[in-house]
Amino acid sequence: MASDLAFDALADPVRREILGVLAEREECSAGELSNAIHRVGRTAVSSHLRVLRTAGLIAERRTGRFRYYSVDPTGPAQDVIHLLQELFQGSLDAAKVAAESLADTGADDRRAM
Amino acid sequence: MAYVAVSAEQRIDAPPAAVFALFGADAGAGWLFDATCDRVAVGAAVTLRAPLGGHPVELLGRIAAVRPPSTIELRLDQPWRGTLRVRFEPAGAGTRVRLTAGLDDDGLRWMMRRRGYRVPAEPTGGAHAVGLLTSKSGSGSVFSAASEGLAAMAVEEINAEGGIHGQPVRLVVGDDATDPAVGTLEAWRLVHAGCRSIMAATTSATFERVSNELRGCATLLVQTVMNEGGLGGGLRVQLGERPADQLRAAIGPMMDAAGGRRWFLAGNDYVWPHVVHGKARSLVAEHGGTVVGERFAHLGTRDFTPLVEAVLASGADVVLSSFVGADLVTFERQCHEMGVRARCRSLALALDEPTRERIGAAAAPGLWGVAGYFAELPGATNAAFLSRYREMHGPFAPPVSTISESVYEALHLYAAAARRAPDDDPVGVARELRHGRADFPRGTVTVDGPETVAQRLYLAEATADGFLVSHQVR
Repeated sequence: MASDLAFDALADPVRREILGVLAEREECSAGELSNAIHRVGRTAVSSHLRVLRTAGLIAERRTGRFRYYSVDPTGPAQDVIHLLQELFQGSLDAAKVAAESLADTGADDRRAM
Repeated sequence: MAYVAVSAEQRIDAPPAAVFALFGADAGAGWLFDATCDRVAVGAAVTLRAPLGGHPVELLGRIAAVRPPSTIELRLDQPWRGTLRVRFEPAGAGTRVRLTAGLDDDGLRWMMRRRGYRVPAEPTGGAHAVGLLTSKSGSGSVFSAASEGLAAMAVEEINAEGGIHGQPVRLVVGDDATDPAVGTLEAWRLVHAGCRSIMAATTSATFERVSNELRGCATLLVQTVMNEGGLGGGLRVQLGERPADQLRAAIGPMMDAAGGRRWFLAGNDYVWPHVVHGKARSLVAEHGGTVVGERFAHLGTRDFTPLVEAVLASGADVVLSSFVGADLVTFERQCHEMGVRARCRSLALALDEPTRERIGAAAAPGLWGVAGYFAELPGATNAAFLSRYREMHGPFAPPVSTISESVYEALHLYAAAARRAPDDDPVGVARELRHGRADFPRGTVTVDGPETVAQRLYLAEATADGFLVSHQVR
């Protein structure tokens, strides 16, 4: 799930908590988010929201003077994280093929001797 | 700062020691384990060719930790800064391999742009925005590895001195991917992000194109690195070493070292190498030498076999190697493999510390560079500069060189010029920048015109682990 991926992806504990809150509720106002996040103040929450929004991990909607946030499951950051995971997984898959075929060859050699 | 961690895992039916031994062994074990490194040891430079979206992108870094047979940790510098940790754990008779890669905000943004997404610019309000156009990917990523780190260091120093006209300097970085077309798009992005000046530490191919595309735009464009000149004036300033000065300093000593006077000219096919060769023809003749052959190869070439064969067939005593970055690395490694070192000495005007390091301990000896700066230069200013760089970026940051140091200098020259100018109007700043003098890690640098820079030049012989900076030659 995209929200789980975002949850895993971000190492900053506060931002991870914000994404966790957003993953549980469809949409939150900035005020609701601040009430849900206890470890830092309102100003810090809003700067973390800005970072998450710039990174494309969350979407922002404005109505009048209120701002609402939600996890952006189709954001470019998600796509990039997914691409990186495929890239690294692919490297390990190729290493598995090479290591196991070398191990087989080694076993054959030993049998031959 | 956001820090994204990505992980992957695989179970392999082979013991940890056997799987660990695949790293760097070129055994067809995928792009990561087939890392290119001359040794698996702490500090060794590593290149990974990652198939990113179908195109190989070279990830450059070095080994930060090795604990056989359980852990290898890499620090990556290009195209993003981050860590890459591979753990090999016993799992039954086999191995569980766990890979964790971390990258920061800038790395994530680089990836998004590479995928074609429009990434919103970070607000630069209240700051004096300066662009840095560098090569984070493509051949130039080798020589540019330390450029961003040194730019950050210069900006920190400038801001500690109060910034420019009361505003802090804010750096916005663009990656030309060693491609003039990409460089142009990135230059426009920097302009739209609010940069009224751009420090370009790219090839002249990019600088020339960007200079042309940005005409009519009120942006000051400064080429910081060695270049052929010819575009200075108005809002264009070209700092750095000139080919004729480098060649005059090196031609005589190179013929002495080689014990012969026949030259072969080989370089990348763009404006700077062409100008270098043009100057070399007349200067070699002036010094009583002859040119016995000349070849060019496009930027990004990875097989120089026919070219190296032509060098060997020519009977040359000296090779003038006008390749840059990863092309210079590959060409010199192939020259070494094919026996050129036994027959010729080589002079490479763009040979610097990160490039020498990747050419490697075996292939580098026999190669000379000539530039205004080498990290080995004596002097308290250089010592303080190097220790500050290590303090800021750590022991595994890429080595500094004349190319990356030029970015540091250009930013300081720019800040001094901008402070002397009455306001932030780039025309006035450019006017001030055309005249300046400062003491830098390389020594005293005097700017006297849009493309006239006076500095000392040094000839340096590459060794297995550094440079032997012979003496001040000019």
